[in-house]
Amino acid sequence: MTESPKPDFEGLRARHPEVFDRPLSARLATPTMMIAAFSVFVFGLIDLEFSPSRFFSGLHQLGWIALMMIPPDPGSSLPVYLVALGETLSIALLGTTLAAVFALPVSLLAARNIVPSSIFRFPVRRFLDSIRGVDTLIWALVWINVVGLGPFAGVLAIAVADFGAFGKLFSEAIEAADRKQVEGIRASGGNALHEIRFGLMPQVLPVIAGQVLYFIESNTRSATIIGIVGAGGIGLQLAEQIRVLEWQKVSFLILMILVAVAAIDWISSKLRFAIIGRRAVV
Amino acid sequence: MLVVEGLTCRFGTKAAVDDASFSISPGGFVGVIGRSGAGKSTLLRMINRLAEPSEGRILFDGLDVTALRGKQLRQWRARSAMIFQQFNLVGRLDVLTNVLMGRLAEIPSWRSLTQLWPDEEKALAMSALEQFDMASLAAQRADQLSGGQQQRVAIARALVQEPDIILADEPIASLDPRNTRIVMDALLRINKHFGITVICNLHSLDLARTYCDRLIGMASGRVVFDGAPAMLTDHIARELYDLEANEVMGTAPTHASADSTIPAFGTAAAA
Ligand SMILES: Nc1ncnc2c1ncn2[C@@H]1O[C@H](COP(=O)(O)OP(=O)(O)OP(=O)(O)O)[C@@H](O)[C@H]1O
Ligand SMILES: [Mg+2]
Repeated sequence: MTESPKPDFEGLRARHPEVFDRPLSARLATPTMMIAAFSVFVFGLIDLEFSPSRFFSGLHQLGWIALMMIPPDPGSSLPVYLVALGETLSIALLGTTLAAVFALPVSLLAARNIVPSSIFRFPVRRFLDSIRGVDTLIWALVWINVVGLGPFAGVLAIAVADFGAFGKLFSEAIEAADRKQVEGIRASGGNALHEIRFGLMPQVLPVIAGQVLYFIESNTRSATIIGIVGAGGIGLQLAEQIRVLEWQKVSFLILMILVAVAAIDWISSKLRFAIIGRRAVV
Repeated sequence: MLVVEGLTCRFGTKAAVDDASFSISPGGFVGVIGRSGAGKSTLLRMINRLAEPSEGRILFDGLDVTALRGKQLRQWRARSAMIFQQFNLVGRLDVLTNVLMGRLAEIPSWRSLTQLWPDEEKALAMSALEQFDMASLAAQRADQLSGGQQQRVAIARALVQEPDIILADEPIASLDPRNTRIVMDALLRINKHFGITVICNLHSLDLARTYCDRLIGMASGRVVFDGAPAMLTDHIARELYDLEANEVMGTAPTHASADSTIPAFGTAAAA
């Protein structure tokens, strides 16, 4: 490596004063931000009563629970647990699918390249935002009160919560689509439906399918959680066994969930790869 | 017969096309030339009605194209097929479906939306592909083709529209010399063989002189030349493109001599 020639320090300094003589405020900005962030962190620890002593004294309790969990053992309840796991997976699958099916048409209305007028687009966006602002767990509590305990409430909770999320994600995918391809359809004499069907959908569907698969994956976990508050599935069993301190059953249930999530993970990554692959889409 | 009368298109206060008037008789191969930003694309896009004219009229065989709406507008778009510099194919659809897009105005929507294409339509598309040696690639995804191949698919799509005019907006600007010849020859063949009028935006004067039987020169949105290629003297050509140097330097596009721009380049480089 050859040594580069020494820069003309004085000359550079004279020609680009804005680089070398930055105002005090600009130079202090970064350190100030770091100090502020650290202060917020410390305040948070104090405010939330973060207590190392309580943590370490409780730690032996955790170790004790862990010991009680070994070996994982379903007892005689394995068939019940399998049914419950199937229920949780169905809640995730059905809820996510419903959400996607309803979100797709609405997301078109929220996309700038489909509805250019912000007067019409704005209310749709706000509507999706407010649905999305409420967590799946809250929706579960709401639907349990409306349709009663059980998996149906779980499906509705996931469907509604993710309807908002999908609406936003899909409309962003639609807005990111290449305008030229749509224009090619329009220039050939296609109508608005043709433009969406042939110009947009081939570009957008692989993105959407990837997002739906990812949501099915993460909703397998959500479906477990909302099961705990009474929306059916394996979460209900888990909450029950924790309540009666059956730790071996608890650990078995946790293992079942882990395996199920890993399996869904694996399947969806395979599917995602197939979808974004090189085949022509319809 | 395509008649353009006082056609103007404004974006904000800027007129991209300014009071353009000309008429083109059937079967012509017309080149539109001019520097970048002269308004060539906007002119073609207005004829296909992808861009809305602010003023003026477009008439085709007495039909007022500027007044069309709805289904009639879509039928006009099919009759005035557009070919784009970036091909504007749907990348994830296969070649055959892309060509069938040219038939959308003719096929009932329930068939096209469900992709239940009638066999006659598929045959039409395949025969168009065969003409450009592309039939063997019918099942390929469009975005897996080379630029030259994609443009040939786009020309096949235009051809199955059974158009009266083909509007080609710099169809060869992203192609290498060999594909440039293939694509220009394809356009020429359509023009001579089917008698379809071709209006083609071109950057290269050489190509314009070789392929076109009439040239329309544009500068700052106005039509400043209209005649046979032989009439386009070097002097006029230089004037058409000299304006570019002025625009680059940010001065008004007046007929300043080339001398005054060269020192400007010099000072820009030294600064
Ligand atoms: N959609 C638009 N919105 C605003 N201005 C536009 C739009 N389309 C074109 N223009 C402007 O109109 C003028 C003419 O553009 P046009 O694309 O027709 O030029 P062109 O002759 O095709 O140039 P090129 O050779 O670079 O393609 C340009 O100054 C451009 O900035
Ligand atoms: Mg252009």
